[in-house]
Amino acid sequence: MPAARFPPVGRSAARGGSARVSGMSATADTNDPVLTGRGLVKRFGTTVALAGVDVAIGRTEAVAVMGPSGSGKSTLLHCLAGIMRPDSGEVHLLGQRIDTMGERARSELRRTRFGFVFQFGQLLPELPADENVALPLMLGGVPRAQAVQEARRWFAPLGLDGLTARRPGELSGGQAQRVAIARALAIRPAVIFADEPTGALDQATGHETMRLLVEATKHNGASLVVVTHDPQVAAWCDRILEMRDGKIVGTRYGTAAPGGDPATEAPARGWA
Amino acid sequence: MTGLLELSWRLLRGAGRHGMLGTVLTAAAVTVSTALLLFTIAGNVAFLARADREAWRHPVEATSGAVAIQAVAEDFVEDEVITVVTVAPLPGAERSGVHPPGLSRMPRPGEVWLSPALAELVRELPPERLANRFPGTVAGEIGDEALVHPEELVAVVGRAPDDPAVTREPLYVSPTVIGPTRVADFTGRHGEMLLGYRILTVIASVLMVVPLLVFGGAAARLTVARRDQRLAALRLVGATPGQVVLMTVAEAVIVAAGAAVLGLVLYVASMPLVARIELAGGPWFLSDLWPGLLPVAGVLLAVPLLVGVSAVVGLRRVVISPLGVAKRETPPGMRAIRLVALLAALIAVPIASRNTSWAVVTGVLALAFLALNLAGPWVVSVIGRITARVARGPAALLAGRRLVDDPRSAWRTIAGVALTGFIAGFTGLLTPSGGMLGSPSATDLIVLTPADQVRTVADEARARLARAGIEAQVHAREPRTDGRPRPVGPLRGRVVVELPETADTAQVDTARTALAGLVPGHVPTTPADEQRAAFLLFADLRTGTLIVLSASFLVAIVSAGITASSSVLDRRQTYALLHLAGTPLEVLDRARRIETLVPLAVMGGGSLLAGMFCALPFVFATLSAGGAAILLVTIAVGFGGVIAADALSRPLLRSVTRNPAPRPD
Repeated sequence: MPAARFPPVGRSAARGGSARVSGMSATADTNDPVLTGRGLVKRFGTTVALAGVDVAIGRTEAVAVMGPSGSGKSTLLHCLAGIMRPDSGEVHLLGQRIDTMGERARSELRRTRFGFVFQFGQLLPELPADENVALPLMLGGVPRAQAVQEARRWFAPLGLDGLTARRPGELSGGQAQRVAIARALAIRPAVIFADEPTGALDQATGHETMRLLVEATKHNGASLVVVTHDPQVAAWCDRILEMRDGKIVGTRYGTAAPGGDPATEAPARGWA
Repeated sequence: MTGLLELSWRLLRGAGRHGMLGTVLTAAAVTVSTALLLFTIAGNVAFLARADREAWRHPVEATSGAVAIQAVAEDFVEDEVITVVTVAPLPGAERSGVHPPGLSRMPRPGEVWLSPALAELVRELPPERLANRFPGTVAGEIGDEALVHPEELVAVVGRAPDDPAVTREPLYVSPTVIGPTRVADFTGRHGEMLLGYRILTVIASVLMVVPLLVFGGAAARLTVARRDQRLAALRLVGATPGQVVLMTVAEAVIVAAGAAVLGLVLYVASMPLVARIELAGGPWFLSDLWPGLLPVAGVLLAVPLLVGVSAVVGLRRVVISPLGVAKRETPPGMRAIRLVALLAALIAVPIASRNTSWAVVTGVLALAFLALNLAGPWVVSVIGRITARVARGPAALLAGRRLVDDPRSAWRTIAGVALTGFIAGFTGLLTPSGGMLGSPSATDLIVLTPADQVRTVADEARARLARAGIEAQVHAREPRTDGRPRPVGPLRGRVVVELPETADTAQVDTARTALAGLVPGHVPTTPADEQRAAFLLFADLRTGTLIVLSASFLVAIVSAGITASSSVLDRRQTYALLHLAGTPLEVLDRARRIETLVPLAVMGGGSLLAGMFCALPFVFATLSAGGAAILLVTIAVGFGGVIAADALSRPLLRSVTRNPAPRPD
């Protein structure tokens, strides 16, 4: 796929039209991490899902969280994304603590500052692709026509030309995930969270989807947190956190194309 | 095969909390449907049973071998009808062994047999109000097998064959007043009134059964729609499509069979309550409400079968792919032919109603009803298209797209209320008000007399009333001889007894008793008595309308509640993921509300008008206050019920969105 041309940063209708969580600064020091979790602990009954996790996600950094089933990687994602409150510890987005916010404020935060890509089932089957992408913008108060127009600008760079009117059931798995990526990016989020984004795709499509996800996220100045159990998917990220028994037990740096040497085969960054 | 059924059973039991909830919803729907279906069948059977028991009071003239002379009249006490059957046994009658049903033998002259309710009333009231009308010896009580309902007031009076009451030509006849007839037995024939009621019951059944079928079918399809993910998993482990279909159908049928039995239990449990509903003069014998072993067995077999067939139809829409989720593609557009079918039926109703055959009219009405059900989804899809086109916010857009995506499912939510709207429109116009009959006098007693005896009878009436201490003015009305056409039968005059307008029921009853037997074979009646049958019919039409509407509302609201809940269950993964991504619950909720209320407003109103249109050929008069009240209550209860049922699924929506890690099933 040729190098993609994404809609320019800073011209989003979402920026002008959507409601923002009050007091949240979008222009913190560029060296500061965008998202941090400190001493995160989460228990489900007697099971300890997170046993004191510290993590920081830098601006435009792509971080993969890996680990076997039950290691706590999805719980970490949920705590960082404000879906779940940790039992103890703190989560900060651009310097502001978010884990103490009420459900409504966290919900608004997720809608305006975070983007989500799940394994499957996140697109509304009744809506055509462009309206699926426009939905979060409309939820933020952007008028329908403007939201759909804005949404359609993401289709060509993500290789979805001509598919705006298709419904999710009429798209392939890879196409549906790219629509989900477009939806996550459309609101110009600070961080995109992806939970097993390639889990329902074959290997080739999975890699292509990951490449687009990483490239598009970085190009838009957003950070990326990917939960996966697939090392080849994780290899697309800048940093890989290895989790076991609710703790981060290892960190690897540097990115590489799947199957290659991380030091030499970094994925192409052909952004205009 | 047995293994598959066993696996279906185990899957059913281990369906998890949401799966189990779905099963319970389906079972509830089938239970209610079965109970109402049994109620509908029982209604038809019950009127037939009443007609059978009442047949002996409609004597058939004997061509030979007469054993008795029988006459039937109506008397009144406490504003209730007493059916008085006069039986004069002919010589040799006792030896023949023939006797009226409910009596142990042929009544002898001078004997009186009373129904239990009348016997009790005779004991309760002073003799001058009632007992003195039956001067003979009370020989026994009439058995239930000769009574229309348990509270019916019936007297069998034995007379000699030469008694004037059974020898004179009748001065007045009606469906319920029959002159002396020589009979060979007491088999009789079915009366016209009860047959009329049976026809009305058939119409009511048609009106109730169609929503029931829609409801039952919808419930079955819910089971299938919810199982698609799990069925895909079964395909993954190598089950053939045939096995998957069999398992799904088996699961639906197992649930339906259990629920049908529960429905039977529910119906039997509610029989004592149903028996209290007063129709055609009184409540019911419990035995009348038992539809019979064969019909019950038929229902218990047919309901699961119907659910099975609906499940197969539902499966046809769910494309099960081994790779996972059921595909959701742009559905083929609804064909406008559905609307053409409705228009054709609406045109057919007035044309067909020129035909006097009730069977044809009922058939056409049923067709109009089915056509409405056929046109419903098409109209819903049009409404969806318009809603989506004009939508500005995400909720309306989502609602509109959903309506276009699955208009049948949206129709199922509102079908009950829309079809009830049709019934309300139909019956609203047919509900006459009592005021149409005016307010006839209940204090003027009229005694018909042979033309040559008017003065004698009037004098005798004055004497009797004076003896009884009743204040009244007695007028003798000679037959008219002004050349105007006179009624068929012998020339007759009238004696009019005017009681004071302030006279109460007790005083009128005492006057009736004083005048009893004044003209043999005839009882004094007030103008209000003569309108009593019409009043009763009108009251019964209102009761019937209320029964049909109540049943329809029950179905409609349960149906709306079940469909709303299952719609949440079906979309739980998407809802949960949207919630995770920050979509406010209110938006999802508003979308669901618009999805229900917009088509409800259009279809509910449309159905109401269609029902009124279909009723036009039968309308007695302009819309009565009672009819208007029914229409208004329908609109209020229908909308309120659906909104409330929909609101009940909100906690479910909250519960499915609370799950932080949604999984397909």
